[in-house]
Amino acid sequence: MGLDIRFEGAGVSFGARVALQPLTLGISGKRIGVIGLNGSGKTTFARLINGLTKPSVGRVTVNGRDTSDEKAAVADVGFIFQSPQNQIILPIVKDDIAFGLKRRGLTKAEIEAKVEGVLARFGAEALADRRAHELSGGELQVAALCSVLATGPGILILDEPTNQLDLKNRALVEGIIAGLPESAIIITHDLELIAGFERVLLFHEGRLAADAPAAEAIARYKEIAA
Amino acid sequence: MQSLYVEGNSVMHRLSPRVKLLSLTVFGVVLFISDNILLLSIAVLLTAVLYRMIGLPFADGLRRLRPVFLTIVVVALFNLIFNPWQQALVPLLRLTALMLLAATVTATTSITEFIDEVTALARPLERTGWVQADDIGLALGLVLRFVPEIVGRYQAIREAHKARGLKVRPTTLLAPLIILTLKDADNIAAAIDARGIRRHVS
Repeated sequence: MGLDIRFEGAGVSFGARVALQPLTLGISGKRIGVIGLNGSGKTTFARLINGLTKPSVGRVTVNGRDTSDEKAAVADVGFIFQSPQNQIILPIVKDDIAFGLKRRGLTKAEIEAKVEGVLARFGAEALADRRAHELSGGELQVAALCSVLATGPGILILDEPTNQLDLKNRALVEGIIAGLPESAIIITHDLELIAGFERVLLFHEGRLAADAPAAEAIARYKEIAA
Repeated sequence: MQSLYVEGNSVMHRLSPRVKLLSLTVFGVVLFISDNILLLSIAVLLTAVLYRMIGLPFADGLRRLRPVFLTIVVVALFNLIFNPWQQALVPLLRLTALMLLAATVTATTSITEFIDEVTALARPLERTGWVQADDIGLALGLVLRFVPEIVGRYQAIREAHKARGLKVRPTTLLAPLIILTLKDADNIAAAIDARGIRRHVS
């Protein structure tokens, strides 16, 4: 599945506070970076894409489907949160991956096959029986990725995937992201992670401040942050 | 996240989750029907033996029970103020036996088993049109998931107090604990929505 996301005048306000100014934008391609200062509207932008936040004005579509239809949004878009420990619901990794599949009418054998398949995809079979609270930061990210990818979304949103990781785990997660066949939108403060991206969106004070190749967007970001 | 489940192969581990949950329900009802001190004492003894068999080190086992047991003692002390000692002893024994069996069931049944079993048991209620069995199972699973999380948060806030040289008081502990727990609950709810777990995505 390709990436075809359209913002049609979509904006978000919480009372008088504007989290994201109305935005009209089309997104396609394999890798999109999203950068900006804290509170600039990056996460609100991302949450609009999988229907976790509803636009106050306008609409957002993913592959032609309005994200106000929650079922469609969730089926198309996987979301990896900033803190993977909050994303993992059950204590054992394989149980947690299976949990997202159980309510989709699959048989036990199909669920087991999907769990094994997604773990094998990342060479993470050894994590299957591990307890989530015993995992390293990188392993937690892999477990969270597996739990989301097991349901087969075509688009993945990763919210600060290398946040709080040491160099080793950061390299692990970067390698995994680079190899993902799914389209991915990556929100990050880790500028190295998105340095090679052809398209990076820079948000500032709830507005899209730049939509450009990585080098240009990063340069503009540094000007804003200075 | 941590779990209340204890790995093991005791008799209680091997029993089916359904048998354990139904036994706990029946046992609870029987305990509240009887006020025979001898019978209740035997119940405490038996449940204590079962709890001891789950494989937890003695000190860890006691630590887990401490908050609930202290609450039971407070209830018994209140009873003792207004009633004869026999009448205060009955709820003490009754609630202690119930606590021990409930702790045993919780320690020998994984959250997944709980969710699956409660969902299956609640399935007939869906015919009323008032409830979703999946949601009842999920709600119970989340309660079990959050217990160790809340304890962990409590300990972290306590340590933060000590590190700053502040006296640990319930009044200064409760507000951050409630706020952090609600924030955690929000994050988990968002994750559940994002993964389509409650939306029955086909």
